Amino acid sequence: MVKTSCGMCYGTCTVDVRVEDGVVVGIEGEPDSPQGYGNICAKGLSAPMMLYDPSRLNYPLLRTNPEKGVGVDPGWKRIGWGEAMELLTARLKECMDRDPRGLYTVGSPTFPAERAFNILCFRKAFGTPNYYTGGGGLHCGNGAHMIGGIYHASWSIIPDFKFCNLAIYWGCSKGHGAGHAANVAAKQAADAKARGMRLIVFDPFLSTQASTAEEWVPIKAGTDAAAALAMANLLVNEYDLFDREYLKRKTNGPYLVGPDGLYVRDKASGSPLVWDSVEGRHDRFSSKAVKDCALEGDFEVNGIRCNPSFQLLTNHLEKYTPEHASDICGVSANTLRRIAKDFGDEAKIGSTITIDDKAMPYRPVASIYFRGSQGHYNQAWDCMSLVLLNHIVGAADVPGGALAFGPPVHLGYPGTGRLKYSVEPDKDGLLVARNWPYSHLPYPPPEPRDPPERLDLQDMFYIPTYTTIMAWDNNEELWQKFKIPYRPDVMISFATNQVMSVGNPKTLMRNFLKKFRFIASFNIYSTEFEEAAADLVLPDTCFLERFASATTFPTVGVSCHATGMGEWVWAIRQPAVEPMAERRPMIDVILELAERLGLRERYLDAVEDWVDRAYGGEIDLSSAINPGDKLRFETILDVIMKDRFGPDKGLEWFKEHGYLKWDKRIEEVYWRAFTDVRVPVYLEWIIRAGRRSRAVAEKYGVPNLVDWNAHNALPEWRPCPTHAEKNPEYDLEAFYWRSALHTYSMTMQNPWLNEISQNDPYTYTIQLNRETAERKGVEEGDAVWLENPKGSKARGRVHITDGIRPDHVAIAANAGHWGKGLPIAKGKGVFFNELIEIDKEHSCPVSLGQDICVKVRLYKDGGEGGG
Amino acid sequence: MVIDLKRCVSCHSCTAACKAEHSTPPGVFWAKVVRVESGRYPTVVRQGLPLLCMNCKEPECEKVCPTGATKKRPNGIVVVVSDICVGCRYCSVACPYGARYFAEDWKDYFTGTKEPSSIYAEHLRKRWLEESDRGVVSKCNFCVDRAEAGRTPACVEACPCEARTFGDLDDPESEASQLIVKRRGMQLHSEYGTEPSVYYLPAR
Repeated sequence: MVKTSCGMCYGTCTVDVRVEDGVVVGIEGEPDSPQGYGNICAKGLSAPMMLYDPSRLNYPLLRTNPEKGVGVDPGWKRIGWGEAMELLTARLKECMDRDPRGLYTVGSPTFPAERAFNILCFRKAFGTPNYYTGGGGLHCGNGAHMIGGIYHASWSIIPDFKFCNLAIYWGCSKGHGAGHAANVAAKQAADAKARGMRLIVFDPFLSTQASTAEEWVPIKAGTDAAAALAMANLLVNEYDLFDREYLKRKTNGPYLVGPDGLYVRDKASGSPLVWDSVEGRHDRFSSKAVKDCALEGDFEVNGIRCNPSFQLLTNHLEKYTPEHASDICGVSANTLRRIAKDFGDEAKIGSTITIDDKAMPYRPVASIYFRGSQGHYNQAWDCMSLVLLNHIVGAADVPGGALAFGPPVHLGYPGTGRLKYSVEPDKDGLLVARNWPYSHLPYPPPEPRDPPERLDLQDMFYIPTYTTIMAWDNNEELWQKFKIPYRPDVMISFATNQVMSVGNPKTLMRNFLKKFRFIASFNIYSTEFEEAAADLVLPDTCFLERFASATTFPTVGVSCHATGMGEWVWAIRQPAVEPMAERRPMIDVILELAERLGLRERYLDAVEDWVDRAYGGEIDLSSAINPGDKLRFETILDVIMKDRFGPDKGLEWFKEHGYLKWDKRIEEVYWRAFTDVRVPVYLEWIIRAGRRSRAVAEKYGVPNLVDWNAHNALPEWRPCPTHAEKNPEYDLEAFYWRSALHTYSMTMQNPWLNEISQNDPYTYTIQLNRETAERKGVEEGDAVWLENPKGSKARGRVHITDGIRPDHVAIAANAGHWGKGLPIAKGKGVFFNELIEIDKEHSCPVSLGQDICVKVRLYKDGGEGGG
Repeated sequence: MVIDLKRCVSCHSCTAACKAEHSTPPGVFWAKVVRVESGRYPTVVRQGLPLLCMNCKEPECEKVCPTGATKKRPNGIVVVVSDICVGCRYCSVACPYGARYFAEDWKDYFTGTKEPSSIYAEHLRKRWLEESDRGVVSKCNFCVDRAEAGRTPACVEACPCEARTFGDLDDPESEASQLIVKRRGMQLHSEYGTEPSVYYLPAR
């Protein structure tokens, strides 16, 4: 029995792998590990079918057909590892000599633990800023994660299932056995429902959680912010249901804002000012002398007319009437009123709860978003609007409320005091996240680089982790204008299928992937990406054949540690069996490359930086590893673990036990009540950061790079391009959803999951409303085309249901494979991404995240295309 | 067995756990989840319904079996003794719950042939032939081997939502019996009179 961390999704549940005569014969959940407590999902159970898939890559492959493109046969030729390493080293050396920034690194979001060492550290050592995550455009959440970071210091948020009484889900299904802390969240959500927690789900279709919820609110895609802002308006302007104490002490609501939209600051210290309503004078926000600060009113400070920022918010929200929202969202004003009142009442503002002798606010409501609500043009503000509801009623990281995954505060492993990190305020008192998976923190905003250095221009913005600009039609023009002196040269990809996971594959190939001289891909299959674009394919190990460091740390990071009270867990990933055939763990190859390229010291420096940021606290790797010894990943892991947990808990200890757990503390889980940090109800700093980015854009002659008007302090609802579609032929809003049976595109090749998906009415079909189907003369199982206004189209079979809005169609993401290397996945389901444009019009102007809803016309396959 | 529909999210963990435990070949699903939808948009209810052999107290399958291959054990679990089964499939027709599967032979999931495509496939084949065999009818047996070794069935152990409770229905004090009483557990199609041993707790 080998104890390791599952790698079938980023939920990383601890599992026991049964090995008999060197064969993996079964996987079970590890009953005592807090990451899963013995529960395991269909994906995890199906893992042996991935390990032993005859379609797995077993030796390096070299492209012999110089032509690249979707549907082109690469003419793979088997080569030896020796030749592969010579070739890769030579290409990387040439790239280094030309300009190391020409190296583009890409990593899968499914394996953050591996990605850190395979990609992020190597990238830094090599000296390139260029990076994006596989599916970076489509599948990740520039808006969701960064708003999570700004408001909760965490990658994502979830209800406090232990105490929450009313959760509102916006385009998400948390607790359905997939995603962050998958199986733990599923159990916690089931416990909450059994206890009586009510769930209201806003979603255009009857999602998993919508179908189990007390109420399903079929909202139009991409309009959640309009509904949430109307509810916020009702709470503050009509129902008087807002948490004044929270807003005064835990937000920037009392900070005075002048006519320029910026804080009025103390001249000497630069500190934002508040109005002491008892003394009738202004003071620094942090001054202990302030008796009571005003949230509302008109004041004058040093001759400047000003208002508390909360006053500006309440004024601003007035235009978001429920009637206005109703027109946009397709949800009645009465429904919005009822739910807003319910939410405000259930928040029990002013109430407290005592746990372990510690009294804390008790706010048993949570407004929770994820992929569905964030996949839109306005995604940064959409997510801000949804999270704002929690902060209006004070339901943030206190019992019952919306909790940060993680949590983001860890007071140290009891044995050593190491592995310690906490949130902290910046000089303006606002929340700064630590233990973040990227060097680019959600807040404070970094200075824009002038000129930008990255090919996706990410470094001239302040919210995006990455953008899709590198694949826009006008990318070359932008690179020239911004005086970027290098071009795409070499790409190294770890476990991605970019051709299927970013957007329209032809656009991505034409504008981006075809520009590389050389693409090397480490993967377990030859996917559509390798076939279309890779020059060299290297057979990686799957999670059952390799080591990884901490799969649950950084706790607030991509994998997301389970939240709520209970236990912390540091779990490793380790091989259950030796790598088969000529498969090599990518990390071994990366370490060899680092040595071959003379980057050993730089690589170790990068690892030190990563460990400091993600695992809390410094480490000295260089002196712990003998300079004469060959770099080995196991040695690095051993040093890290001994440093965190003591000399008796090195890699050998973890190989035997798989994981180490210890108790969480109240001050960690409900950290908000114990830390002196505030969050912005008014994003003043976005005005300043936006101006700085805009100045860079203007300086280089691209004033209209994005809509700078969106870089403002207060939340707005902005329509997606699809909402403005005037041609009545395109009468259906298409969107994608994530099936809990699959992890992006990776699991579609698994024959067990494939067969279950084939038996499931939803995973491989286009969900169409019954009345709409009748109107269009479409019957169950009919093959139809969905075509967007630009002529891109996707084919699939219809499943007729009453569980979707009549004006929408839903498609499960990442299906519709065509690659020869994926015979099981091939031809199953619908390839939605064909319909997604990669351009400015479909990029959020603040977060640069991609808009994934699209207007389509539907017509039967074989028909005239008449709609 | 008691299945709490309030906890279930139709994730199919049970389906996969069963497949992994019993090495069932393509097309054979001793455990599965179906979706039932009723109502008209927007007042529509969709319910996931995990299905398996109901291990009835009065099993129709046992009555029609001409060879005595289908037997109810003293602990109530209905089993198929594959050595005696002749694959006539009367039982499949008699079962009101569609719980029985006939597999002519073992097949590899990747190739669709009788040749195992990997050492793991060889393991699956061996296990399937040992437990169920070719040319016969098979079905969920409440993981009888596990049950008799004091372990819960694979689907119960895996369920992420902990929606399943396995216990002795003859013992009124067992957790399973108590849940049925407290939460008004119901049998599927109790009117058929087969007295299923699987109870469902209402979702709403």
